[in-house]
Amino acid sequence: MSYFLVRRGIGFVLTLIAVSVVVFAVMNVLPGDPSLTILGIDSTEEARAALRERLGLDEPVVSRYLAWTFGALRGEFGTSYAFDVPVAELIAERLPMTLSLAISGMALTVVLALVLGIAAAARHGGPGDWAIMLFSQLGIAVPAFWLSMLLVLLFAVHLRWLPPGGFPGWGDPLAAARALVLPTVALALVQSAVLARVTRSSVLEVMRLDFVRTARASGLPRARVLWRHVLPNALVPIVTIVGLQFAGLVTGTIVIENVFYLPGLGRLLFQSIANRDLVTVQALVMLFAAIVVTANFLVDIAYLLIDPRLRGARA
Amino acid sequence: MIAARGLSIRTGAGHAAVRSADLAIRPGERLGVVGESGSGKTLLALAMIGMVPEGLQVSGEIAVGGTVVAPGDEAAWQRLRAREVAMIFQEPMSALNPLARVGDTIAEPLMVHRGLTRSAARAQARELLEETGIPQPERRLDQYPHELSGGQRQRVLIALALACDPALLIADEPTTALDAAVALRITDLLVRLARERRMALLFISHDLAAVARTTEAMLVMYGGDIVERGATDRVLADPAHPYTKGLIAARPSLAQRGRRRLPTIPGTVPPLEALAEGCRFAGRCPVELPRCVHLRPAATATASGSAACHLLGAAP
Repeated sequence: MSYFLVRRGIGFVLTLIAVSVVVFAVMNVLPGDPSLTILGIDSTEEARAALRERLGLDEPVVSRYLAWTFGALRGEFGTSYAFDVPVAELIAERLPMTLSLAISGMALTVVLALVLGIAAAARHGGPGDWAIMLFSQLGIAVPAFWLSMLLVLLFAVHLRWLPPGGFPGWGDPLAAARALVLPTVALALVQSAVLARVTRSSVLEVMRLDFVRTARASGLPRARVLWRHVLPNALVPIVTIVGLQFAGLVTGTIVIENVFYLPGLGRLLFQSIANRDLVTVQALVMLFAAIVVTANFLVDIAYLLIDPRLRGARA
Repeated sequence: MIAARGLSIRTGAGHAAVRSADLAIRPGERLGVVGESGSGKTLLALAMIGMVPEGLQVSGEIAVGGTVVAPGDEAAWQRLRAREVAMIFQEPMSALNPLARVGDTIAEPLMVHRGLTRSAARAQARELLEETGIPQPERRLDQYPHELSGGQRQRVLIALALACDPALLIADEPTTALDAAVALRITDLLVRLARERRMALLFISHDLAAVARTTEAMLVMYGGDIVERGATDRVLADPAHPYTKGLIAARPSLAQRGRRRLPTIPGTVPPLEALAEGCRFAGRCPVELPRCVHLRPAATATASGSAACHLLGAAP
């Protein structure tokens, strides 16, 4: 077990605890009495007090925090004020939607970015490099929601190749996949534009290092030098940005799900905020934060797989 | 036999970093190239393996084993590298891929060029490591560069360079980054390997003692010109060119310890664009003649070989 992993593992747990404290605190200082939301303004003070007691809202903050945290660890987030079903159920129904969108978006981002970034680096200074960098500059400048609308106009309204939005459910995998194409592309194009630039500059930087000269002096073909020697060494900054972008993608799904009318966590979050469904909002914000923190922990593990120098007892 | 004729290397601005150099290395011969930083010795070495950096223009003729290779013919050079000409570099700390096991690094050219299987290449990598005298060669195969010392890394790089049994090994200041005791062992290793394998060695260094220990013949470079050449011991004992004389006089020796300041060659190597069109050493030379600045001296036979200096030739 490496020192690096132990240190990052401790950091991972501490970050989650800190996030849970902040999320809980923010949700509990927000004005608005849940019992008023649930029972309506015509309700009596006695009825509201009884409900607060039933919901445990009259207990001290610390014991409420602990109850919430340990419940969340068991997968229990309480009962939604608005839908009157367990929040865990609401989340379980919608999580596959959001996760498949985020993961397919990330996969497309990485593939596009690596191909474009490496191609640009290999053509450094040439017209190919110039064209790819121009494309990525455009990608960075364009907001995802606007791009989504353009994609819908072109591929759904004019060409009628793909559905403009909505989700047919997982029962028909082909239809489900078709419904995910445009949202995935909308998510990935913008992110890959950023990642392609990172890839290009990282590859160019590694190409100047001494061991690349050694590989060339060994008579290895250019492509082999690029894939076997340059790229693995260029991965660390790329993986770092991928970790950060995964956070952007997960939050990006909130916007994209609303544009494409997809029943995922992002739409649930919107609805819950509109309904002042604080229990659900709190659970969702915590979940999004946990996904992001986990993604960053996975990035740390990826560093370990890439770089043997971090695997030692001390690093 | 590997030879260069009329080899010139120019910068984008047209300044000559190497001026029409001729050299030939016979099988098994150990040739030293001596010069200060900026003398063009590393560029000359890189040209012999087709790896002059982009942006520089190489002209002239390079022949490897009798076939002429165009300086820019990357495909041809790729076939020659490792198998005909191999090279080790100055900085063993950064010259190995930090993410690859040493055994895999050495095995790679064997698999690519010789078509060996992974296990056969690995067995051969082990033998090569053993040949370089690295302690515990078997264990090294699975180690990463950061787990090795500088001297061990240079041995790994030597093993890598030897993998495909090249006719010529170019060593560009292979000991500069190593401490003195390790440096001696590496130079001795290079000599032993060159002898045992009948492999030619082109040894680039600014260290006259290392060149004396390693090579039979030497070239002295200044400002992109080969100013003197000959048998190593004779050039060092009886230098003919004023620059070579200055270089030898500037060597610190124990006998001079504490008595006086070290003699130096006055001034520093000027930038390429400021070098004289005639003799490159003009301006720093203690015995300069009026024509030196404009007229490039031709190589003239000397007791130890030849030197390019107007003082040695007949007056025009």
